[in-house]
Amino acid sequence: MVESRFKMKSGVPGAGFVLLFLLALSLVVAPKAYTADEGKALYESRCILCHGAKGDGNGHVSILPKTEKFGKIWKLNPRDFTVGAFKWRTTPSGCLPLDADLAKIVENGISRTYMPSNADLSRDEINGLVQYIKTFSPRWVEEKGDTGGVCTPIVINKPAFVGSPESVAKGAEVWKKMKCAECHGDQGKGDGPKSESLKDDSGHPIMAFDFTSCAGKGGVSPERTYAAYTTGIDGTGMPSYADSLNEDDRWNLVSYTLKLMHKL
Amino acid sequence: MKKLLLFTMMVAIFIPAMLFAEAKYEVIDVKNGGSIKGKIKASAPIKDPVTEINKDQNYCGNSQASRTYILSSDLGVKNVLVAVEDIEKGKAAPKTDLILDNKKCEFEPLVGVAYVGQKYIIKNSDPIFHNTSLGVMLGEGKRRTVYNLALPNKDQAIEKPVRIAGMQSVKCDAHAWMRAYVYASKSPYAVVTDDKGNFEIKDIPPGKYKVKIWHEGFGEITKEVEVKSGQAAELDHTFSKK
Repeated sequence: MVESRFKMKSGVPGAGFVLLFLLALSLVVAPKAYTADEGKALYESRCILCHGAKGDGNGHVSILPKTEKFGKIWKLNPRDFTVGAFKWRTTPSGCLPLDADLAKIVENGISRTYMPSNADLSRDEINGLVQYIKTFSPRWVEEKGDTGGVCTPIVINKPAFVGSPESVAKGAEVWKKMKCAECHGDQGKGDGPKSESLKDDSGHPIMAFDFTSCAGKGGVSPERTYAAYTTGIDGTGMPSYADSLNEDDRWNLVSYTLKLMHKL
Repeated sequence: MKKLLLFTMMVAIFIPAMLFAEAKYEVIDVKNGGSIKGKIKASAPIKDPVTEINKDQNYCGNSQASRTYILSSDLGVKNVLVAVEDIEKGKAAPKTDLILDNKKCEFEPLVGVAYVGQKYIIKNSDPIFHNTSLGVMLGEGKRRTVYNLALPNKDQAIEKPVRIAGMQSVKCDAHAWMRAYVYASKSPYAVVTDDKGNFEIKDIPPGKYKVKIWHEGFGEITKEVEVKSGQAAELDHTFSKK
């Protein structure tokens, strides 16, 4: 069918084909382009200062020194979107985040960092920003379609027992058995024996999370905490426990760490 | 006008597929193939550095051989990855899984080939906490997580599909000295040199190819090789320490 239509048009001179090609290209980009274009304008007014024009995290304010406990000084680097690795997802270790995961961070910001909230933006505007951010890494094009169901989003259904004394006690056992204290310390202060040498995937020193600070960068709701244990935090030393712990034990661990965070 | 629109739409569907299609690998029957064989050497003897250990010394000890430079008496280099990079057609990759073991506080093997579509079997043979983080090496020191899995207990094993192709580094965040390298290949045409620095890649369809020769300490070089039917193309290389 396509071929015969093509032949019918064969009288059109070469320039016509070039035009056709361009028109086709514009159509390809058109359905998404409107929002990504809109996103670009927003990106340039809000994000570019830190994340840079190329999205590589090398904006004018790219390195922000920060000091916290234990006299350890480290730097916070804005996300390098070109790498295509994202920390707070609802998808398994090593997978691309959902648009909704990125939208949540754009909307809420990241506590204890310089990433502000953009809650004043509309849903469409946030979506536009997300679509534009996705153009910085070739991953979204290369990994179209999930091969073998590896990247199926995780299910987060908080059971009623979360926060109960029994669950906290079970969670304390899980904490021990999973050797969480190796990095996070016995009291969860982020001062375990392995914490001092932790580096992120760019080789920058990082801290193990101090649960007593009560302010996790990815959020401290039971659901968010559960997601971190399940998916890990890509680009950091925090691995996924999806294969080491069943769902109930991950929720028990949530109960115990809610207690460490003084949320119970 | 309708026809034009339909045609344009068809083009619109096909163009992105052409522009963005990931390098595909087509499995064919290779009857008239040739091979690439050779030896990778060092220009001079070189001492293998000793790795200082500063965590879990009770189990891991205070130091271990880094295994970066394992040279035979005639300077053949072990653990060099040799991979035909731009091959689009050839034999099916073997259905072999790659076992990646955390053993005596180092990864075994140090350099391995995994095949896309098969599995990683990630093990912990030690009675201490390890985590195994695989990441694509993107250049400029950038790295993208493929898997980062906790293996807190002895004899734990996790199986994961090999789905991302390319050169990946492996690390354990709990023990900064631990590292390994995995080349995830769509084709069977990737190998690691043996104790004497020798390698052989068989049953390659005749043609000109770019072959990547990579070593952890010496670095990387790409050479062009012409494979002729029924013949073995010689590919030797001598690395010098920069």
